[in-house]
Amino acid sequence: MSDGPLIVQSDKTILLEVEHAQATEARHAIAAFAELERAPEHVHTYRLTPLGLWNARAAGIDAETVLDTLLRYSRFPVPHSLLLDIEETMSRYGRLRLEKDPQHGLVMRTDDYPVLEEVMRAKKIAPLLGPRIDGETVVVHSSQRGQLKQSLLKIGWPADDRAGYVDGIPHPIALQEKGWSLRPYQRLAAENFWAGGSGVVVLPCGAGKTLVGAAAMAQSSSTTLILVTNTVSARQWKDELLKRTSLTEDEIGEYSGSVKEVRPVTIATYQVLTVKRGGLYPHLELVDKNDWGLIVYDEVHLLPAPIFRMTADLQARRRLGLTATLVREDGREGEVFSLIGPKRYDAPWKDIEAQGYIAPADCVEVRVDLPREERMAYAMAEDADKYRLCASSETKTEVVERIVARHAKDQLLVIGQYIDQLDEIGERIKAPVIKGSTSVKERQRLFDAFRAGELHRLVVSKVANFSIDLPEASVAIQVSGSFGSRQEEAQRLGRLLRPKANGKTARFYALVARDTLDQEFAAKRQRFLAEQGYAYRIVDAGDLAKD
Amino acid sequence: MSSIRALAEELAARGNDSLRRLFAVRPDLITPGVPDFAALAARACARVSLQRALETLSKPQLEVLEALVLTTDEDEGRSGSAVELRHAVGNATLGTLDSILAELSQLALIYRADPPDSIHSASGSRRRYYQPVARVREVLGSYPAGLGRCYTELASVSQFFAERAPDIVNAIPAAAQQQHVEHHIAAAYALERWASLPEALESAPAKAREVLAKFTNWPVGAVPHAEARVKPGRRTDNPVDWLLSHGLLVPLDDEHVELPRPVGLALRGGRIVPELSLDPPAPPVGSTSTALRRNAALGAISEVLRLVSALAVEAGERAVETLRAGGVGTRELRRLTAALRAESDQTVLALELAAAAGIITLDVDTSVWRATGADEWLSLSRPEQWLVLASAWLDSPRVPSLAMSPEGGAQLAPLSGEGQRPDAAAVRRRILEAAAELSSEAGSPDGRAVVITAADIRTRLEWAQPRLARRLRGLLDGVLAEATMMGFLGSGAVTRAGAAVLHGDFDELLAFLEEVLPRSVDKILLQADLTAVAPGYLEPGLARRLALLADPEGRGPATIYRFSAASLRRALDAGEDAASISAFLAEHAETTVPQPLAYLVEDTAARYGRIRVGRAGSFITSDDEASLAGLLHEGAAQQLGLTQIAPTVLVSNATPQEVALVLRELGLAPAVDSSLDPMVKLQRGRGPAASNGLLRPTPKLTVPSQDDVEAQLAVLRNQSAVTGNADEAAPMLGIETLQKAIRLKRAVRLNIVDALGNSTVEELRPVSISAGRVRVFDPERETERVLSVHRIIDVELA
Repeated sequence: MSDGPLIVQSDKTILLEVEHAQATEARHAIAAFAELERAPEHVHTYRLTPLGLWNARAAGIDAETVLDTLLRYSRFPVPHSLLLDIEETMSRYGRLRLEKDPQHGLVMRTDDYPVLEEVMRAKKIAPLLGPRIDGETVVVHSSQRGQLKQSLLKIGWPADDRAGYVDGIPHPIALQEKGWSLRPYQRLAAENFWAGGSGVVVLPCGAGKTLVGAAAMAQSSSTTLILVTNTVSARQWKDELLKRTSLTEDEIGEYSGSVKEVRPVTIATYQVLTVKRGGLYPHLELVDKNDWGLIVYDEVHLLPAPIFRMTADLQARRRLGLTATLVREDGREGEVFSLIGPKRYDAPWKDIEAQGYIAPADCVEVRVDLPREERMAYAMAEDADKYRLCASSETKTEVVERIVARHAKDQLLVIGQYIDQLDEIGERIKAPVIKGSTSVKERQRLFDAFRAGELHRLVVSKVANFSIDLPEASVAIQVSGSFGSRQEEAQRLGRLLRPKANGKTARFYALVARDTLDQEFAAKRQRFLAEQGYAYRIVDAGDLAKD
Repeated sequence: MSSIRALAEELAARGNDSLRRLFAVRPDLITPGVPDFAALAARACARVSLQRALETLSKPQLEVLEALVLTTDEDEGRSGSAVELRHAVGNATLGTLDSILAELSQLALIYRADPPDSIHSASGSRRRYYQPVARVREVLGSYPAGLGRCYTELASVSQFFAERAPDIVNAIPAAAQQQHVEHHIAAAYALERWASLPEALESAPAKAREVLAKFTNWPVGAVPHAEARVKPGRRTDNPVDWLLSHGLLVPLDDEHVELPRPVGLALRGGRIVPELSLDPPAPPVGSTSTALRRNAALGAISEVLRLVSALAVEAGERAVETLRAGGVGTRELRRLTAALRAESDQTVLALELAAAAGIITLDVDTSVWRATGADEWLSLSRPEQWLVLASAWLDSPRVPSLAMSPEGGAQLAPLSGEGQRPDAAAVRRRILEAAAELSSEAGSPDGRAVVITAADIRTRLEWAQPRLARRLRGLLDGVLAEATMMGFLGSGAVTRAGAAVLHGDFDELLAFLEEVLPRSVDKILLQADLTAVAPGYLEPGLARRLALLADPEGRGPATIYRFSAASLRRALDAGEDAASISAFLAEHAETTVPQPLAYLVEDTAARYGRIRVGRAGSFITSDDEASLAGLLHEGAAQQLGLTQIAPTVLVSNATPQEVALVLRELGLAPAVDSSLDPMVKLQRGRGPAASNGLLRPTPKLTVPSQDDVEAQLAVLRNQSAVTGNADEAAPMLGIETLQKAIRLKRAVRLNIVDALGNSTVEELRPVSISAGRVRVFDPERETERVLSVHRIIDVELA
């Protein structure tokens, strides 16, 4: 057996030994078909999933290449059943193709008669199909293109969509690379997307996903709809596009709760599109009534269900999904695959970090001992109150003060979940608090001040989790979080990962009350961060000074 | 002459080499040894021995034997040669038939006989003529070559047909030969000699011919209300009715019909075997890359070793429980599957292998399987471990796959009695040999490895050993699945390791496995996400200790151990402490111990035991700390085994009553609390790890050793050719004579011994013989009697 860097397990995971001489080579080879699941310091774990294998097929990689790669780099014999499984799974993609037929319009074709027969008999699929033309071809109602792809994926026969796209209304857009240029991986991501037609680009927070979007828009040069998570994020997109492209203020419209502008490039929030009145979505019209050439979905992993339904009807338009992670807390990865498209580009987080584009972060968990009376209160509290009690302990506020004192010169964020606690901390460290009740205008002003360096400290609640670019934050203190969600963690860390002007290491403190639920959730967080490859330390609050 | 005597003479006349070849193929002839050639011949004609011998025949050999059986008649002195057979067998030259007949003769299935009287003067006398040995007809069954019985025989079997036969014949003028037939025997003879049968078949309606085509390979078919359908002379459109009415099918009973032999022969163009299948079918084999093949084999070997090691350790810690009806129940199987981190089929195989290799044995007193041989097996090198398992599997009389997830039908419990199949070992070996033959024949096209499917093996076995193949069919898929999981087969062909075990090349196997099996590792990688990765097969001792400290997860060659506060507490319970754990981690970690892990170990150990639990016989408590301290320093303290666990509490191993007694002697006045008796702790330890002689396996002999054969030959050569009254041959000769008398309906003179030892000679007519009893008709008393064969001393045709 070769002495390769990979160990292929029968539970469909692949272990990669990072220190091995061939590790980089092997990593690039398997990244095409396996999802990186965990990346701690020595051994990274990749997982083989049907979606991952189909993504690879969509990128033109065949089963033989996958098997060869595994056998070549594997240290031990690869479980044979796994190899058979890979072959079987990969052979399923593309047996059914969606095509444009000059005579019949949208059709589904296959070279494998029994597959079509099986699919046509499936209860959920039969109503989506029109008359059968011959043994290998059946007409598809063009309105059902997305629904069909979704259903096909569910029964394990993902279709290869080659039916093409409408061009939309042309509108000239060009990148203006003045004093900056597209990074190589951004260029590659945009190119891969364009070649594939539709799909998702996976880049870590801070790696410049907006620019990938801009590059795709330039390539398409047509009217574009950009869907983002919230208004602040919409403003950031607008600023970025103004700065980086030939687009002017008049050409970019915002479609949100407060403003409803429809322009050649329109940025809309998920929230406004999913507003429901009398059982209807009044604003979905924006999507349907305009001839968009490109639709960009920011933060695909947060896409709400109504948007999925809407996307199912938009299969003739080019769709670009941008995200930091394909993992969805609701397990709807399959819908992203079938409705937005296969993964077109994915850069291992650590790779980009090593290239110096995002700042490495240093994570410190600070264990705080609860005072005796708080422990008693905690022990006797109802289950529902326990977390709030331990997470918003008095002692944490005092530790925050000590940390803030140590980082007097750094741009510092305090992140938390409980408003009372945040208000108190804000008062004690004399910093403004941004919470749900803060107006958009006020938020904008505070963020601007923070970015400009006029403001050193900022206390933010959950509202700041997503898509607010605070590149200068170099220290973050998390005092409480919402029950250890993986996604939230990635977002919070994302705040810190934006490139630092001075190349300094960002630091992330998490304050944890010992022997409580807080510690349990922290254990999950620790696992997640360590699995993401971050340096992680645990210190007692008392030892903080020595650290 | 009796066929046994004839065979005995022929065997005696053979050279030693010829006999050696015979013994190699039919080892049962000389196990145990025989005294003389007569006994040898008798044994060769015994039913069981013939059954075994017929199982070794290939399809062409069996076809020629069947043709010979159908064309010869011992009683009429009609023997057969290649010349006669050439008319009965298609696609065969005289040379081919001669050589096949010579092979059958070599196997002592047919013997040289005189040519039939009609041939005597002709030039054909130089040809060799043969007769099948006694009982070959019987063992071949009622339908040799898939042909039905003669009309005459059918008329004697089916009462209904006998009654209708004259009507049928009279309705067919060509068959009746213009004479009106009255009696059913005459009718049957007339049908037997039906000259224009081929024309009659030609003129049959097309649908009737379609029905007949279904009887090509087997003469019996199921037809509802068969008897009512016979309507001679009447018009009918139903093809089956038509055939029955025209005598081309014969009703056996109300449900079944049979195609008479003349009709069957006519359908085959007059030939018993339309086409002799001389060459083995060569299925088009698929191919795969050699890298895949090698990978599959080694992957399976590593996995099976991992599974059985894990089972050996698990069973050592907790014995495997059985159901009352025997076998391991679903719940226990699920528990083991979780512990082994495997699929349930893998657990089944691991259990069966461990039992077959003696790694776990059934404790008959408690009905649990204990890991009595585990330590011994685990101490072997990895190649040796596999060899032990592979040999045990190959020779096991059990079929593990019967307990694996079934496709329909109920699942057997692993290790239950139902998994037993006496011929499992032979079947397994034969299947693997067939796979090996196929892969060696196919070679390696374009440097790729061949892929043999179950269907290929089935086809090959049906040609190479058609009679055996019927028995193999049911087990084939299961055995192939087991072989694949064991690493005997890899991606559809016999692996190098598998072939070595099959051929008994154990040294070569060990050397090969030593070279290719991955080395065990003794270093682990510790990571900040609180995991330790063992990048490969971990030394068992190390693995056991690590499994105590952390929970193993993941399935495959590598294992990931996840540390948690709970897992560390488990280790602390087992007597570890922070220092020993840290030392262990530092010693075996390839890198430094990550800070979060070190913190976790320290933190957990420091907080371990905040609440302590212990065992004591009684406690002594007092508000007066000083008096307790004084007590501790009294001589009585040693006597009572006192320990201070808090300033105001002492504990003792003694019972409260004893303590009170001693304290009273010391002049104190203790008050005894009523307390519960200490619980008796259940010991759940391992049984005595006695060595049960788990030896390195030796190659299994499938043929008698050279020495045995030579010794046997020496014995045989010392005797005269046919001693005639040879003890062992006598009963066989007697039975042969009785059978002949039954066939010819002749009387025999029997010398019979009664219960008191008196012998009498009687002349009786035997009617039938079976299961060691002869039914005879006594013409003098006009009654039927049943005699035991062992009471008959001598038989002679009257």
